[in-house]
Amino acid sequence: MAKKIVLETKGLTKRFGSVTPLDSINMQVREGEWVAIMGPSGSGKTTMLNLLSCLDAPSAGEYILDGVATATLTEKQRVAVRREKIGLIFQQFHLVPYLTALENVMLAQYYHSMIDSKDAEQALAHVGLGHRTGHLPSQLSGGEQQRVCIARALINQPAIILADEPTGNLDEANEEVVLDLFKGLHREGRTIILVTHNPELAEFSDRVVRLQHGRVVHDESAH
Amino acid sequence: MAGDRRPDTTKTAMFLRILFKSLKVRKNRVFITFFSIMIGASIITALASVYFDISAKMSRELRAYGANFFVGPSSSGGERSVESATIAKAIGMVPPDKLAGATPYSYGVVRLDLGNAVLAGVDFMGLRRLSPYWQVEGKWITVDFDEESCMIGKTLAKKMELKVGDSVNVISNEIGFQKTLTVKGIAETGQAEDEQIFVNLPLAEKILGSGGRVNHAMLSIVTDGTDVDGLAARMQKELPGVDAKPIRKLSYSEGRILEKIKGLMAIIAVIILTVTTLCVMTTLITVVSERTREIGLMKAIGAEDREIVLQFLAETMIIGLAGVAAGLVAGFALAQLLGHAVFGSAITFRMIVLPMTLVPSILASLLAAALPVRMAVGIVPAKVLKED
Repeated sequence: MAKKIVLETKGLTKRFGSVTPLDSINMQVREGEWVAIMGPSGSGKTTMLNLLSCLDAPSAGEYILDGVATATLTEKQRVAVRREKIGLIFQQFHLVPYLTALENVMLAQYYHSMIDSKDAEQALAHVGLGHRTGHLPSQLSGGEQQRVCIARALINQPAIILADEPTGNLDEANEEVVLDLFKGLHREGRTIILVTHNPELAEFSDRVVRLQHGRVVHDESAH
Repeated sequence: MAGDRRPDTTKTAMFLRILFKSLKVRKNRVFITFFSIMIGASIITALASVYFDISAKMSRELRAYGANFFVGPSSSGGERSVESATIAKAIGMVPPDKLAGATPYSYGVVRLDLGNAVLAGVDFMGLRRLSPYWQVEGKWITVDFDEESCMIGKTLAKKMELKVGDSVNVISNEIGFQKTLTVKGIAETGQAEDEQIFVNLPLAEKILGSGGRVNHAMLSIVTDGTDVDGLAARMQKELPGVDAKPIRKLSYSEGRILEKIKGLMAIIAVIILTVTTLCVMTTLITVVSERTREIGLMKAIGAEDREIVLQFLAETMIIGLAGVAAGLVAGFALAQLLGHAVFGSAITFRMIVLPMTLVPSILASLLAAALPVRMAVGIVPAKVLKED
C-alpha cells in the first residue's frame, strides 16, 4: 500500500516584483521519503526551502503539509506550523551561543509544548552527543554543533525534516558522521527533504529533484 | 518523544534560565544599561527628595533676609500707635513653628550728647531672629530687662564718635527723662537703622513716655504652607484697629524664587530622563543587532512574536529595576550631600519619592525598549539565517 502524502505543492510560485525565483512547482512527498533538491546557484533552492519550511509565504499556488493548507496562513499560523510539523537543520547550525547543547534542544521543546530534559538528553545521545550535553556551542566542533542542530530538529517529532546544506560547513570526517545520521533517520522512517550541492549526499536519497531557473527540470528516483 | 513527554522543567524555569544566561553573556551591555538607568534614577531621587524639602528649607533660608509681615495701627482710625498687648496677641496668632522672629517697635526722637537721633524700643531677642543679617560689632543685648545698655547704628555711632563700651546720655525731648547708657553693640544694617539707637521696650517706654503703646511690629513668617493673606485677614478681623499685611515684595519674591527653582528641577529631571532613555535605547538597539540571528532562529523554530517581546521586555525590566534600586540608594545619598552643601541640614526621606523615581524610570526604560523590541519582532528568519 502506498504511503500517505506528507507534503504536496500545486503550482507553488514565489515572485519578488517582476522576478519569479520559483515558478509553478508541483511536487508530492510521501511519508518516509528522502528527497534531495539540487540545482545551481540561483535556481530557486533557497526560495523553495523557505516556502516548504513556512518561513515565507508563496505568491501563488498551494502547499499542503501533513494535511494543513499553508499557503494562505497568517504569519502567526505559519509559526505554529513550523513549531508543530517541521524540523529545521541549517548549514550554519544556528545554535544559541549562551545555552548548552542540552538547553539548545530544550529550547525547541520550550517553544513547542513542555520541557523534558531526559527526552532532550536521549535526543542528544541518539546523535552521539550523550557525553556533551553540558557543553556550549563554542566548546563543540562543527560536526558536533550540527548534530545538536539535528537533535533539536528531531525533538518534537516533526512531520518532515528540512535540511539546508547540512554538510556544507563540515570537514570530510564530520560530513561522514552527519551523512550516517541522515541514513539512520531515513531507516527510522523519517521524511527528509534536503537541499544540497553535494552529489554524494543526494546519492543516498530516494529521489532527486533538480531545479533550474525556478522550475523543476528533473524529478525521479535516485536509484 | 514529543507525545509521551514528561515535563521535568517548567516553562517559567526555562524562561528564567534563558533570561539570566542571556544577561550574563552580555555583561558589558547590561552594565551600560544598568548604569544609565541608575544615574537617571539617582538624579530623579535626589531632585525629588530635595524638591519636597526645598519649600521648607528655602523658606527658612529666605527668612534670613528680614521681616515679611507688618502689624500696625489701622490707617483708617488715624492712630499712629497701637496697644502693646494687641501687638502681642497678633504675634501670638502666628503658629509658633512658622514664626522665625518678631519684634514690636516704639519710636521717638531723643537728644544725645552731640545732637538728636531716633530711638527705637525693641524686643532684642525677636529683633535678632528677625534680622540675622545685621553685622554687629560688640554684642547683642540678650535680656529684656537690661535698662543700662543700648545698641547703636553704625552711621549714628560714627556721627556721635561712639565706640563699643562708651557711655551715652539719652535725654527725652518731651518729658525730660535722662539716662546714661553703655553702648553694648554697634550694628551695621545697610538700612535706616544705621542712624538709630536701640533700647529694650520697657526702657523706651520710660524714655518716650509712650504709655504701653508701640508704633508697629515687624514679623518674619515662614511662608511655606502658610496662608499669609488669610492670616492678615484673621488678625484684622479679630483685632479691631489693627492693620496687618504681608510685605508683598518679599513674600512674593520668595514664592517666585521657589517656583522657579522647582521648575528648574523639573526641567533637569525631564532632560536626565530623556538622556537616559536615549542611552538605554541605543544600547538595546545594539543588543538587538547583535542578536539578530538568535532571534531569527527562535522565530524559525517556533517562537511567537509575543515570546520575543516578553524576552526583551523582561530583560529590560530586570536591568531597569536593578538600576532603579541602586539609583534610589545613590540618589538619597546625593540628596544628603546637596542638603548639607546648600541648606546645612539633612534631607528627609519621603515615601512619595519611591513611586516618583520608579514610575518614570521604568516608563523611560520601556519607552527605550519599544524601538529595539519592534526591530526584534520585525526580524525575518528566512533572511537573517541565510546570511553569512
